[in-house]
Amino acid sequence: MAHAAQVGLQDATSPIMEELITFHDHALMVIFLICFLVLYALFLTLTTKLTNTNISDAQEMETVWTILPAIILVLIALPSLRILYMTDEVNDPSLTIKSIGHQWYWTYEYTDYGGLIFNSYMLPPLFLEPGDLRLLDVDNRVVLPIETPIRMMITSQDVLHSWAVPTLGLKTDAIPGRLNQTTFTATRPGVYYGQCSEICGANHSFMPIVLELIPLKIFEMGPVFTL
Amino acid sequence: MAAPPEPGEPEERKSLKLLGFLDVENTPCARHSILYGSLGSVVAGFGHFLFTSEIRRSCDVGVGGFILVTLGCWFHCRYNYAKQRIQERIAREEIKKKILYEGTHLDPERKHNGSSSN
Repeated sequence: MAHAAQVGLQDATSPIMEELITFHDHALMVIFLICFLVLYALFLTLTTKLTNTNISDAQEMETVWTILPAIILVLIALPSLRILYMTDEVNDPSLTIKSIGHQWYWTYEYTDYGGLIFNSYMLPPLFLEPGDLRLLDVDNRVVLPIETPIRMMITSQDVLHSWAVPTLGLKTDAIPGRLNQTTFTATRPGVYYGQCSEICGANHSFMPIVLELIPLKIFEMGPVFTL
Repeated sequence: MAAPPEPGEPEERKSLKLLGFLDVENTPCARHSILYGSLGSVVAGFGHFLFTSEIRRSCDVGVGGFILVTLGCWFHCRYNYAKQRIQERIAREEIKKKILYEGTHLDPERKHNGSSSN
C-alpha cells in the first residue's frame, strides 16, 4: 500500500507493473531534460542584451523545433505501445474471478471450481482491530494465488465503478451491462490494497479492494476448491 | 516509493529529486547518466571556450552536451539494465526448476547431460 504523502509509484507486484515503472523512469528522464532545456532558454531570454524586434525568418530554428519534438514523441510512444500490447497478451489464465461493483461494496465470485460468492465491505472505523488500516481494510479479502495467471472479469450492478490495484498495475472500469476483462500474474505474496477509481456516489471513497496473495499450495487448500 | 525495508533488505537511499521530480538516487541509471552528462557538459563547454573564447556560445554547447551525453548514457545503461534483469529472471527460473525437478526425469541437468553425450 502507499504510505502517507507518497507521490511515487508503489513497488511492483506483477511483471506489467515492473515494465510500467521502467517506462515511467524513462519518460521522467525525457521530461527532466526538456525542463532543463526550457529553463535554460528562459534564463537566456531574461539575460539577453539583444533587443531586435524585427526578426521574421528563422527557418533552421523552426525546422529543428518541429523535428526534435516529433523525435522525442516517438522515443516516448514506442515503449508505451510495447507495454500496451503486452497487457493484451493471451497468457492462458488458470483462474477466473468475477468482480461486481455495487454502491458501495464489491462482490467477488469464484465459480471456476465451485460456487464461492461473497461481498467485500470496508471495515467501519468502530470495527477496526489494532493494526488494521482505516478506510482500506475490508471484512472479506480477495484471496488469490501467486505466480498463476488470473483473469478478472469486472462489471457493475448499478453505476460506474473502477477496480484498481496500483501495485499490480491494474485499473479496469466496472460498467453496468458490460463485462471488462483484465489479466495479471502476481510475483510475490502479501496483502495489497486498492480503491474504487470512478466516482460512484457518496461512499465512493469507502469501497476499497484488498487482495491477499498466497502461495498456490496454500490456496488449493482453501474454500475455493473445498466448498 | 517503497514500504520501510525489512531487516536484511538493503536500505533505500535518501531520495534526491532534481527539479523536484527526478529521483536520481532510487531510479536505476539516473545518477550515473546525470553525472556523466555533467562531465560531458563541462568538457564540451570548456573545450569550446578554449578554442573560441565565446562565453555564451560555449554555455549553449555545454547545455547541448549535457543533454546529449545524459541521453546517450541513459539509453546505454537502461539497455544493459534490461538485459541484466532478463538474465536474472532466466537464472531464477532455472534455479527454481532445478530445485523442483532435481533427481526426476525432468531434471534440467539430466536433459542437458543427455543431449551433450548424444
